[in-house]
Amino acid sequence: MNLILEKQTLQDLLQFWRQDYDVYLPQKLERFSHFMPLTDNCEPVNNEPHNTRIPPKALFLPMTEALVKFTRYGGYEDAKHEIQSRVVFAVRPCDAQAVQLLDTSFIQEEYTDPLWQEKREKTITIGLGCHKTCPTGFCTTVGCGPFNKAGLDAILTDLGADYLVETLTEKGSSLFLTLPEAQEQMVTMAEVIQQKAFNQMPVAFETEYLKEKLEQNFDSEYWDNVSQSCLGCGVCTFLCPTCFCFDIVDETQRRERVRNWDSCMFRTYSLEPPGTTRDLHGWNAPASESATSTSIGSTKLIKLVAPVVVAVYAIARSGWTFAPCFAKHKPCHLR
Amino acid sequence: MPDLDAIRTEARRLLEEGLVEVVVAFKAGDTPLHPQPAFFRSADEVDELVYDGLCQNNLATYLTRLPKQAKVGMVVRGCENRSVNALVVERQKAREDLYLVGVPCEGILDWQTIVAEVGEAITSVTETGHDLMIETSAGYQLLERHNFLHDSCKRCIHPNPTSAEILIGDPIAEGDPSLPRSAVESFEARSIDERYAWFQKEAERCIRCYACRQACPMCYCEECFVDHIEPRWTESGATPAGMQGWHIVRAFHQTGRCTSCGACERACPMDIKMTYLTEKLNHDMREKYNFEAGLDAQSQPPFAAVTLDDKNRFKI
Repeated sequence: MNLILEKQTLQDLLQFWRQDYDVYLPQKLERFSHFMPLTDNCEPVNNEPHNTRIPPKALFLPMTEALVKFTRYGGYEDAKHEIQSRVVFAVRPCDAQAVQLLDTSFIQEEYTDPLWQEKREKTITIGLGCHKTCPTGFCTTVGCGPFNKAGLDAILTDLGADYLVETLTEKGSSLFLTLPEAQEQMVTMAEVIQQKAFNQMPVAFETEYLKEKLEQNFDSEYWDNVSQSCLGCGVCTFLCPTCFCFDIVDETQRRERVRNWDSCMFRTYSLEPPGTTRDLHGWNAPASESATSTSIGSTKLIKLVAPVVVAVYAIARSGWTFAPCFAKHKPCHLR
Repeated sequence: MPDLDAIRTEARRLLEEGLVEVVVAFKAGDTPLHPQPAFFRSADEVDELVYDGLCQNNLATYLTRLPKQAKVGMVVRGCENRSVNALVVERQKAREDLYLVGVPCEGILDWQTIVAEVGEAITSVTETGHDLMIETSAGYQLLERHNFLHDSCKRCIHPNPTSAEILIGDPIAEGDPSLPRSAVESFEARSIDERYAWFQKEAERCIRCYACRQACPMCYCEECFVDHIEPRWTESGATPAGMQGWHIVRAFHQTGRCTSCGACERACPMDIKMTYLTEKLNHDMREKYNFEAGLDAQSQPPFAAVTLDDKNRFKI
């Protein structure tokens, strides 16, 4: 259904939602915008065509999240998280599709991550289409687009003085019950804007046979060249809307088992579980081989670490439902 | 700006004559605001070499990533030269394996302030003496260069390379030593509550990506303290204690080693200020020990120098 929302009344509507929901929307913090809870006196929505610095995945997979709380005498209980129902407003279509993509990892038939799932169920995602496109984007190339609807409960199109609200789910409709229906000409106007934005995003590269091409070029010199200047920090993965690797650690002083964002760029990522690889195999990397996290791809290391990484990855993918099995093995730093 | 052709000619000569195996410099990036570090291994690649005020990284950070015996040529500014010296002092690279092409630096531009002023759709940036000519889809805009310098470059004391094999361009005037001092003093003049509030505001935005560590030439430890498991020094999550712990200890490990290049702040994706911590340590090193890191390739940092006749015996 297409509705019309006057921009002047947006702030009132957002405040109205606050009665029943926590409302998150992009707000400026220093130089960048972040999804932050709406307060009484809040800066207007940042409507420039760019993503928030930290993608909305962080609303569902926080940087640090407690899984288990240890009790006395070796017991443990689930960490308590009180998740309010919430509205996330002005999510870019690419970010919304990214969260939907992550569902395929966190919500599986066999293994479901309850923390992720609960947050997803209690969240209404309102998208803001990109009427101004970004110079570095390539959304149309990878099956998304400036007004893509995947993962959204409603999507807004900026018409100047108004927003055209297209509700996509029941959850989405429930937020806009008071709005008038859009006239035909408004809908046409929105379609023109959407088409124009789509046309501004030409296909950036061919995706046909991409898998085969990647496999064929696995040992290409290109990777050596492109990785030379990589510093090995975690920025690209942390700010990526679909990177979701995490590391599970025990914060013994707080008596908590937590999961933290982790990055394949980190040196220790390839050495998981910490210490064990080296202890078991008596492995010590020559200085030249381990000089940088980017040079960790030595065959020797891959052969030693790969089985362990696969095992840890499998456990990580299954989320914390597997966490209790860790309790049987004392973590190495508690030995 | 130094003559780009002269830099290229020198880089080409180094590779052609086999004096070095690789020249570390910059090449154009995917967007006009981001030239990226590049590694030139043959003379015919050198046409891609660029140098301008938008070159953000401290290239010395790659010294410890290249094979230890490699003969390396590097285009260095004042701070990069000091970082190279400091690494040589710490025996991370033999000075004879290095050939430094020095360029006097007029300060690195903070691309984020340019974007904040002009917007994101920048198609080119041209430096003309004291001005920046920014081209956008809407036309041209002229900005005063010195307003868009990075913070650490605004208070730079030594913009000229001190020990480069060749200097391209004329040395420029040294900076005013009172600038870093007054930055430290104005911070110290605040009340303890204000200072803690500032520290909290900055440190607790951290996402623990360690870009500051990776961008810093002096952070070359095989295993950083935050990666230690036995013993565990700090929380690894993005918690207040973990984030504060990281920022304090990272700064402390730079005592007498930081060359004030500001690469840490430029690398930070969260725009966290951190040079106020290292500047204080650098200030103390200057005041108490009359020492600045990297001014030459011989002097040990005071906290790293050990002599057998030290009147203060080492205690545990």
